[in-house]
Amino acid sequence: MKLEVIGTIVAKDLREFSRDRFYVVITIVGLLFYVLIFWVLPDTVDETIELGIVQSGMGQAFEQVADQGVSITAFASDQDLRAAIERGTGGISVGLSFPDDFPRSVAAGSPTTVTVYVTGDVPPEIRSSLSAIVTELGFLAAGRQPLVTAPAETEIVLGLDRAGDQVSLRERMRPLFAFFVLMIEMMALATLIASEVQSRTVTAVLVTPARVTDFLAAKGIAGTLLAFAQAVVLMAAIQSLGNQPLALLLALLLGAIMVTGLGLIAGSIGRDFISIVFWSMLFLIPLLIPAIASMFPGTAAAWIRAIPSFPLVDIIVQITTFDTGFGALGGQFAALAGWCAVAFLAGWWVLRRRVVAL
Amino acid sequence: MAEFAIEVSDLAFSYGATRAVDGVSFAAAEGEIIGLLGPNGAGKSTTIKMLTGQLPPERGSIRILGKDMPVDREDIQSRMGVCFEEKNLYANMSGVENLRFFGRLFGIKDVDTDGLLERVGLPDRGGDRVATYSKGMRQRLMMARVLLNHPDVLFLDEPTDGLDPVSSRAIRSIIQEEAARGATVVLTTHDMMEADVLSDRVAFINEGRILAIDTPENLKLAHGRRSVRIRSRNGPQVNETIVALDDEDASERIRAAVAKSDLLTIHTEEATLEDVFVEFAGRGLQ
Repeated sequence: MKLEVIGTIVAKDLREFSRDRFYVVITIVGLLFYVLIFWVLPDTVDETIELGIVQSGMGQAFEQVADQGVSITAFASDQDLRAAIERGTGGISVGLSFPDDFPRSVAAGSPTTVTVYVTGDVPPEIRSSLSAIVTELGFLAAGRQPLVTAPAETEIVLGLDRAGDQVSLRERMRPLFAFFVLMIEMMALATLIASEVQSRTVTAVLVTPARVTDFLAAKGIAGTLLAFAQAVVLMAAIQSLGNQPLALLLALLLGAIMVTGLGLIAGSIGRDFISIVFWSMLFLIPLLIPAIASMFPGTAAAWIRAIPSFPLVDIIVQITTFDTGFGALGGQFAALAGWCAVAFLAGWWVLRRRVVAL
Repeated sequence: MAEFAIEVSDLAFSYGATRAVDGVSFAAAEGEIIGLLGPNGAGKSTTIKMLTGQLPPERGSIRILGKDMPVDREDIQSRMGVCFEEKNLYANMSGVENLRFFGRLFGIKDVDTDGLLERVGLPDRGGDRVATYSKGMRQRLMMARVLLNHPDVLFLDEPTDGLDPVSSRAIRSIIQEEAARGATVVLTTHDMMEADVLSDRVAFINEGRILAIDTPENLKLAHGRRSVRIRSRNGPQVNETIVALDDEDASERIRAAVAKSDLLTIHTEEATLEDVFVEFAGRGLQ
């Protein structure tokens, strides 16, 4: 391989990319859009439960639970509470309606019923916690302590302690944004290659002293440069390079090489913009799954781990959210490097076959 | 320099089960223009692809400038210029940028783009994107690209196909200048006029085989008719007579026709290259 020839072809490819108005616009607008969305999204998770109550004679008892992540709004009647929940007034989605004789009944040990109102989207864990609140309020109203004392416990937090600082939607979007940038650049590279193949400019290149390997290496470098540079710009713009920057940059580089390999394949097969989008999507939709799954922590099925993009997404999440070090991510880096090699070599092989057959 | 700039022996290539080139052999001297003349699909472009290192021959040998293709491909390619049938230029780059890019691939850092563009008749359009060029302008730029590295061998695949007469003439002129400089030119065409005008020798190629190779004149004389067509006025009508030059009384008949005041035209009836091609191949060039 001749470095000067490779450098000449890379420079030409970057010049051609800079003149493709569609990809230039979509790249710049995309970057601005992702950055804007990131900063507009909330960076905290408001876990306060908006609780509506009908609380005859229970004022003091509620004051004690009000500062425990529960915001309380009092209603005069059961009908008012129910109407407020149905309309979503003030964000109230759960309500407790205590009967007028509740304090007296619990103090006397008489049976009594508290009505719990919830909207359909209230998760089961909130519903069960309402039962606990009712029980606690019962003891408070009766002027008694709970019958059992909670055992002492020691909590050891492994890694960054995110208690009271839940992973925000903004943070959960990071891998998706990074993947979108890589995806666009993969399609840009595929378009460059398809154009070169369809217009046969590649044959003009290959009757000069440039070799097929020079051409392939140049495409690989140009694609990786485009994808990596923009992923880094994005990560810097959303201030995500603070934790373990070298490890994160390495992950992004490997991710860029992986999508470049796929771009080589899509560019070799695709004949025009539509077919390039089709082939790109065929690869990218499955690869997007881990990034989408990362938006809903705890929901990823085991099979998602087998998707080649999973190590990249997981590394981004682990580093940016939990400040996990390179040492703890060795396995994921090895997996990412493996997938990266498979994708790039496959792309190299497919494009080589295409070019030689022209 | 070798005795022949190009020596091709028993060249063969197949696309799957289809034999595209089957035993092609020829040699071209330094400064010679050799035209491969044949219809579409005859095997001309495949032959050029093997000569330029784009396709490895299945059989046979190629020696160019004393080196073996494809063994010494890089050395040979550094001394050759190729003009493709497709206008394979970078449309989003200007003419100058295209020339500079290909120049750098040849290791030429300071390409004389002004000189090249002037030579092909594009002195004022070098800064414009190729996408804005007409077909003729693109072909001229392709010729400028061919000349970048001052090649010793030029391979030109249908260099004037579909061009207007002015562009065709300009490109033919460049080809003749290059040959006069000492470069060997192999051009493919299915235009018998072009082959006739440009080529020192013409090779008829059909179904992957060379049917005949000689100078256009020899081919026409050996296989055409030696006759003269005389047209004269006879009152309101025009009479037409063909006089075979091999007839004993040919000279007298021609002299008599010329002496008459009613003579309109007199033309030689030599065969065209297409006539000769049909005789060899049993089919036309289209």
